[in-house]
Amino acid sequence: MLNEILLSLARWLDSQSWSTQIHESIYLYSWIETTHVLSLMIFLGMLCVIDLRMLGWAFDKVPASTIANRLDKPMMIGFAIMLISGFLLYYAIPVRTTQSIWFRTKVILLILAGINAFLFRAKMQASASSWDLDPIPPKRIRVGAGLSLLLWSGVVITGRAIAYDWFDCRRELPYAMYWAAGCVDEMAAFQ
Amino acid sequence: MDLYPLFEWLDTSLLADISKAYGGTFAVIQMFHLMGMALMGGMVLVGDLRLLNILLRDLPSEMVIENTHKWFGVGLTIMIISGIFMSSAVAMKLYYNSMFAAKMAALATGIVFVYAIRKPLLAGDHTELNPWTLRIVAVTSIMIWFTVAASGRWIGFS
Repeated sequence: MLNEILLSLARWLDSQSWSTQIHESIYLYSWIETTHVLSLMIFLGMLCVIDLRMLGWAFDKVPASTIANRLDKPMMIGFAIMLISGFLLYYAIPVRTTQSIWFRTKVILLILAGINAFLFRAKMQASASSWDLDPIPPKRIRVGAGLSLLLWSGVVITGRAIAYDWFDCRRELPYAMYWAAGCVDEMAAFQ
Repeated sequence: MDLYPLFEWLDTSLLADISKAYGGTFAVIQMFHLMGMALMGGMVLVGDLRLLNILLRDLPSEMVIENTHKWFGVGLTIMIISGIFMSSAVAMKLYYNSMFAAKMAALATGIVFVYAIRKPLLAGDHTELNPWTLRIVAVTSIMIWFTVAASGRWIGFS
C-alpha cells in the first residue's frame, strides 16, 4: 500500500515539466549534484570535528561543549544545503529514486542518525558540566560519537550507491529485493 | 612530457586487475574517497574559517590549525590511496580526460601550498603575522581545495 502511494507521488512529480527540465539540462543537474557532494565538506566535515572531540581524538584541550556549540551553526547550514540540493536531485529523477533500495536505506539511516543526534545532544546537555574539560569524554558519549560517524558514513555510502543500477527494478531480482525496493509492477508480475 | 606510458602501466597493474575483476570494488573504494573528502574538506574549512575570524573565534588560531592539520593529513592519505585505486580502474579513459588533468594540477598545487607554504608559515605565533597574510592564506586554501573537489566531481560528468 505504502509502495503504491510513494510510486504515485513519484510519478506525479515525474510528470512535472520542471522535473524533466532539471533531469535533461546539460549543466543544472550536474551542478546540483556537485553542490550536494561538496556541501558534504561543510556538514560532515563539521560533524567529524565535533565527533572527533567527543571521542577524545582532537581538540582535547578545548571544552567539548565549546566545539559542539561553535560548530553547530555551520554544520546545520551544510545540512540545509544538502537537504535542498538532495530534494532537487530526487525531484529530477523521482520514480527511479523512489524504487532504489539504496535511497530507501539512506532514508532509514538518515532517520536513525537524526534520532542518535537528538539523544546525543540531550545526553550531552544533561551531563556536559561534569566532563566538559576531560580530554577523553565518558564512554557513553564516545559510543554516541562513534555511532554518529558510522551512521553518517552509511548515509554517504548508500547515497553514492544510488547512482549504480545493480538492484534497479528492471533487473531480474529475487522477490524480497523487489519488495524492499518497492518495485510494484515487478512484484505483480512475479505473482 | 607525455604521461601515456604511466597510464598504460597503471591500466595493466595488479590494482587495475582487481578493480576490473570485481565490479563493486570501484564503487566501494569511491565511497572511501568521498568520506576522505568530507574529513579533509572539513578540516580545511574549520582551519581556514578560524584564520578568517569566522569560526571558533574564542580559541587560539594556532591551536585550531594544529588540531585540524593532523586530521587533514589523514583525510588526504585516504583520498590519495583510494584515488590511485580508482584511477587504475579507468586509467586509459582518464588519460584523455581534461578534468582529471585539471584536478591533478589543482591537487599538486594544494599539496605544495599546504606543506611548503601554509604549514611552515602558520607554525609560529600568528599574532606576529600580518592579518592580511592570514586572510590570503585562508582564502587561497579554500579556493584550491574547492577546485580539487569540484574538478574531481566533474571527471564523472565529462
